Amino acid sequence: MRLEKCWFCSSTIYPGHGIQFVRNDAKIFRFCRSKCHKNFKMKRNPRKVKWTKAYRRLHGKDMTQDSTFEFERKRNRPERYDRNVTEQTLKAIPIITKARHERLKKHISDRQKPGKKKELERDNKELEQDINMLPKKLISNEASAEKTKVKVKVKVVQQQTEDRMEE
Amino acid sequence: MVQYNFKKITVVPPGKDFIDIILSRTQRQTPTVVHKGYAISRIRQFYMRKVRYSQQNFYEKLSTIIDEFPRLDDIHPFYGDLLHVLYNKDHYKLALGQINTARNIIAKISKDYLRLLKYGDSLYRCKCLKVAALGRMCTVVKRISPSLAYLEQIRQHMARLPSIDPNTRTVLICGYPNVGKSSFMNKVTRADVDVQPYAFTTKSLFVGHTDYKYLRYQVIDTPGILDRPFEDRNIIEMCSITALAHLRAAVLFFLDISGSCGYSIAQQAALFHSIKSLFMNKPLVIVCNKTDLQPLEGLSEDDMKLVMDMKAEAMKTITQAGDPNEEGVLLTMSTLTDDGVMAVKNAACERLLEQRVDVKMKSKKMVDCLNRFHVAVPKPRDNKERPICIPPAVLEARANAAAKEKKKLEKDFEQENGGAGVYSTSLKKHYILANDEWKEDILPEILDGHNVADFLDPDILERCEELEREEGLRLEEQAAQDAFEIDGHELTEEQKEILSQIRKKKALLIQEHRMKKRTAESRPIVPRKFDKDRKFTTKRMGRQLSSMGVDPSAAIARSKSRGRKRERSLSRAAADGDDMEVDGQQSNKKLRLRSRSRSKSRAPEEVIPGEGFKDSEQKKKAIKKAKDATRNRNKEARRGEADRVIPTLKPKHLFSGKRTLGKTSRR
Repeated sequence: MRLEKCWFCSSTIYPGHGIQFVRNDAKIFRFCRSKCHKNFKMKRNPRKVKWTKAYRRLHGKDMTQDSTFEFERKRNRPERYDRNVTEQTLKAIPIITKARHERLKKHISDRQKPGKKKELERDNKELEQDINMLPKKLISNEASAEKTKVKVKVKVVQQQTEDRMEE
Repeated sequence: MVQYNFKKITVVPPGKDFIDIILSRTQRQTPTVVHKGYAISRIRQFYMRKVRYSQQNFYEKLSTIIDEFPRLDDIHPFYGDLLHVLYNKDHYKLALGQINTARNIIAKISKDYLRLLKYGDSLYRCKCLKVAALGRMCTVVKRISPSLAYLEQIRQHMARLPSIDPNTRTVLICGYPNVGKSSFMNKVTRADVDVQPYAFTTKSLFVGHTDYKYLRYQVIDTPGILDRPFEDRNIIEMCSITALAHLRAAVLFFLDISGSCGYSIAQQAALFHSIKSLFMNKPLVIVCNKTDLQPLEGLSEDDMKLVMDMKAEAMKTITQAGDPNEEGVLLTMSTLTDDGVMAVKNAACERLLEQRVDVKMKSKKMVDCLNRFHVAVPKPRDNKERPICIPPAVLEARANAAAKEKKKLEKDFEQENGGAGVYSTSLKKHYILANDEWKEDILPEILDGHNVADFLDPDILERCEELEREEGLRLEEQAAQDAFEIDGHELTEEQKEILSQIRKKKALLIQEHRMKKRTAESRPIVPRKFDKDRKFTTKRMGRQLSSMGVDPSAAIARSKSRGRKRERSLSRAAADGDDMEVDGQQSNKKLRLRSRSRSKSRAPEEVIPGEGFKDSEQKKKAIKKAKDATRNRNKEARRGEADRVIPTLKPKHLFSGKRTLGKTSRR
């Protein structure tokens, strides 16, 4: 009994779930649910379907290369059972998975960094430019501190320029 | 060696079919088209071919019949006599003879007519000759049709005869009816002969095969024979007699000692003595059947004497004087209880074999062969005893093997631990592991959505430590990076609140603008950015123009109008002209007429000199009248004759609904 991967979306298939198709050249296609099976029957390429793992990997959405991936690999040769090794392995698995999750999080946050930065810039600009659209009393009440800060900054700049002029 | 197989004789068609076959074949296989205009030689050839072809066919067909039916003189006398008994030799020979004559007659007819055809002088003559030739041939065949029918019957019967080989090892069973011949046959061979409790169940010869000493014996079951003069015997009995007379076989004479067949032992003995001439030179065994009803010992003295007489007769058939083998002459058995059946068979076969070997030994051929044989026998060197020698090592090994304890099998474990259904064997106990304690370990195959087997690795511990180290380094690095990038902070809550309000406001403005745009019906409007304070009014424009010394009324009117149309009317042109030349409003019609270009249109009622109208009023009237006259009458668009009509192509009432009576078109 082992967990298989869906051919289409690469999700884990637990025993007793999904469906599998054996082509006449003996290649086995496993599907986690009817959605994936139907998509396969429609001859869709999983690399071009946005919600699949294959797409995400291909387009840099997910982490593809990492040392944590090298721990888990399918062996086609049966290993003789050894209690010590198995114990160590069972202990190591949670550590490995945790490390991988951390890295994945990091990967995603790194990926989203430029967009976040841009957004912040835009927000700041909008806040600065369109502050006058709101009635003045509202701003004075709530954001007086903020506004005064801005005003202070402006004043400083003006002073500096004046100094230069004088020089 | 002649094979006696009468199953392969081709079917003999009855006379009518025979003719049909030949004629249709002639029609099919020879050319069919001939014309008067052909050269006479060609016509003659055409018909000669037909005649010759049908004659050849007749000849072939009849020849096959003659060749395939066996000639009674040539085949083995057993078959010759059998066929004579069954079909009457004279009749058979006569039929074949008739066919032979017919064949010759047909050949002669064709020869004659071919000669005549050579001199045929027209198509008609040739045709008549051909018809006559074929007709005569057919008549000949028609005349022999009874013979053909008879031969066909014989053929069918012969196909069903048992294939008896007269020269092979044969065991022949004979005796009175209902003495148990067929049941013995069923016991000994695989043949399935019908056994019934009445006389003459078996009406013809039956053949089965049995094995003795790796040799194959053919066993022939004959119909029962009654004790009566030879001439009175019927066909069924004659079959048996024929087989007895001509086959060199071991004969089993069946004797029903219980008398339940309806014939006493005396009667059976009488039969034996009347046909004993047929047993000459054949191994004869007297078989006392039905001992389950009446054992041989319990017979009365008279009967016993009769049996002994028969035995004495049978003893005479033993050829070897020096070896009187008494056991194989008189035997008892019961086919019901299977008692002694095999003994009878073995005795018969054994005696037959002996006899055949004897005959062969006496034959000339054997003498030629015998001097080539030599059987080598080692001569004893001395008087020393030389027993078989088995090495002591081998003996020891054998003893060890016997003494060795048997390996305990899974079956034994089962017996010990509660038997089948209770004991279940552990498949793990034969595992080959480093430590035997590990055999019964239970371990997970799946952990947190991963296959444990995929992670198994002897040096996983080191790798895992390395990973942790790596992870620690990475975390430090990241902490440093975060510290570096700390100034790129996010907006505060207040700022976020303000920003959302600003965006809400913006969205509202955009929505409003869109509403306005929609109600303006996509007319051009002065963008408000150019006229924020609504200062650019027509009044101001008028003021400005008049201050510049221009009459503003036309410009004002235009700005108020909905825009310019694309028409090109006189009035517009005039107005334009007026605009250009501000002062001096001249309206000289004649002058304008002359100067006007041809393309310029004019009002229809305008009078043109030369048209013949007095004034425009008159012309207007005339135009109106002309219009009335040519007006389209059908102003209300009613349907008229001239309208195009598409009729209902398939009127529904004629093409749907039930049809109880008549056709759809008639209803």
